[in-house]
Amino acid sequence: MSYAIRERLERTLLLVPGVVLYGLFNFIPLLGLLYLSQVRWRGIGEMHYVGLDNFRQVLLNPYFRDQLFNAFFQNVIFFFVVIGSFLIIGTGLALLLSFRTWGRKTYQTLFFLPYPLAAAAVAFLLDLFVNTRGPLNAALTGLGITEAPIPFLGSEDTALVTLALFYSWHRMGFAIMLVLSAILAVRNDLLEAAILDGANRLQAIRHIVMPVLAPAFVLITVIIMVDVFNNADYTLLIMGPEAGPLRSTDVMGTYLFRTAFGGSAASVNTNFGMAAAIGLLTAIMIMPAAIILALRNLRRD
Amino acid sequence: MDKIFRLSHREQLVVQVILLAWATVVLLPFGAAILNSLKPNVGQVFREPFGFPDPVTWSNYLDAWTSANFGTYFLNSAIIAVSCVVLVVFCATTTAFVLSRMPFRGSTFIFMCFMLGVIIPIRLTLAPLFVIVRELSLLDSLLGVILVQSASMMPVSVFILVSFMRGISKELEEAARMDGALPFRIYWSIMLPLVKPAVATVALLTFVLSWNEYFLPLIFLQSSENFPLTLGIRQFNQQYSVQWHMMFAGIIIMMVPTIVAFLLASRQFISGLTQGALKE
Repeated sequence: MSYAIRERLERTLLLVPGVVLYGLFNFIPLLGLLYLSQVRWRGIGEMHYVGLDNFRQVLLNPYFRDQLFNAFFQNVIFFFVVIGSFLIIGTGLALLLSFRTWGRKTYQTLFFLPYPLAAAAVAFLLDLFVNTRGPLNAALTGLGITEAPIPFLGSEDTALVTLALFYSWHRMGFAIMLVLSAILAVRNDLLEAAILDGANRLQAIRHIVMPVLAPAFVLITVIIMVDVFNNADYTLLIMGPEAGPLRSTDVMGTYLFRTAFGGSAASVNTNFGMAAAIGLLTAIMIMPAAIILALRNLRRD
Repeated sequence: MDKIFRLSHREQLVVQVILLAWATVVLLPFGAAILNSLKPNVGQVFREPFGFPDPVTWSNYLDAWTSANFGTYFLNSAIIAVSCVVLVVFCATTTAFVLSRMPFRGSTFIFMCFMLGVIIPIRLTLAPLFVIVRELSLLDSLLGVILVQSASMMPVSVFILVSFMRGISKELEEAARMDGALPFRIYWSIMLPLVKPAVATVALLTFVLSWNEYFLPLIFLQSSENFPLTLGIRQFNQQYSVQWHMMFAGIIIMMVPTIVAFLLASRQFISGLTQGALKE
């Protein structure tokens, strides 16, 4: 065999494992969404081709549509609670850590500590804290702020926000780290020039530091948007696929799960085709954010 | 410069108070988990959540490990995470090597297909994915979960490695090629040693994310002897009342490996997770 042929052969052999692994278990399912979204199928037995009927059902039939809108709307609330806490608490802490504070390296490590935990750990770790008989309620009633304990996860008014705050607690270190590295990247000579021009600290922060944080904010927003619209771990872990109380913690991920595999009670209505349709709709919803992210990475690359 | 970032004593005090407050918010759950995992019963957990356990019940860990099957779950988690690391490191380095170093007609297209995986999260494809795994008779097997979790890590790993490899000069490779070295040899003796830092990042990221994965095992595993820790932990929640002292012992067993990995390599970890965040 000549060098050129052997080179081509070895190149192909090097490419095959990765392409097969990714292709079979990630890329083909992605393409499969397009086909599967056009059938009605319980996962076993007969498959009916229905064209765009799944989309029509999920967008127009009140039974499915109400669930979709509910899940979507609650997902948006979840997103805003997370992003709001990241922008306020995360930016604040990152700014403080950028000063010459004592023990800043230790604080950085400390604040990142929840990040390597599994969602399964975080969910139950924090679950006890907000329990009606747990420490937070004991403190609230003890200080006389509330008379009766608040059922944070048991009431439909508070459950969703509580789960979103669990998520924030878990990922806060990540937001802090992104903002902090953006602050530390601000060029020293710019700050020096500002001081020479007579700017005080607040002015320098406002006019020099804040503008460079914009890209970091965009990045955080986009990453969190992609994640919360497909990740339903907290609801699934604590509430299960029925997303109680009264579906008040339902998000796109749980709706998708329920459509494919059924909730705890009624698993008669499962339809893989509709699950694929919901998956596709969700993919389209997060597409703008995802594309910004991809472009940014390719450009940096 | 200094003027802006240096703090007066009073300011330092205020800043420290705020930072300590958040440190408390972060550490309180950890502290409560450790204390409560050593308590003899649920009653004591609720009576005084931050009280010292009386008597200190180390046997909770033993009970979790043996009678609650955490030994099995731990082993399953370890098998899944380690296999994923091996599989992803091998497949992603070879793929990234060919895509970045030996481009051919269609290699850009293949790279774009991988990037599509970065944009669209694998969870959204659960219906077709489930069908494929079932057709391959991989339902309820560790192998099935390993393959799916590895595949889900491929896009971001290939992305990290391709960016890293593009920054490496081609001189060594070209010299080797002049001497008649073939791709296998160039990959193994030249490329792999040069990309060690990126491999470490990918390996760490894969280990932590596959150890922590909840959703994919939830879909594909049915029998409890195949459960990883993330699924096993739910058993303390499914009875009428949560057995908090056991739950916390379980959580601590579950978090030790990833926390240790974090403390050993926190710098690499943070850079890896921020790069990998585009996948999650």
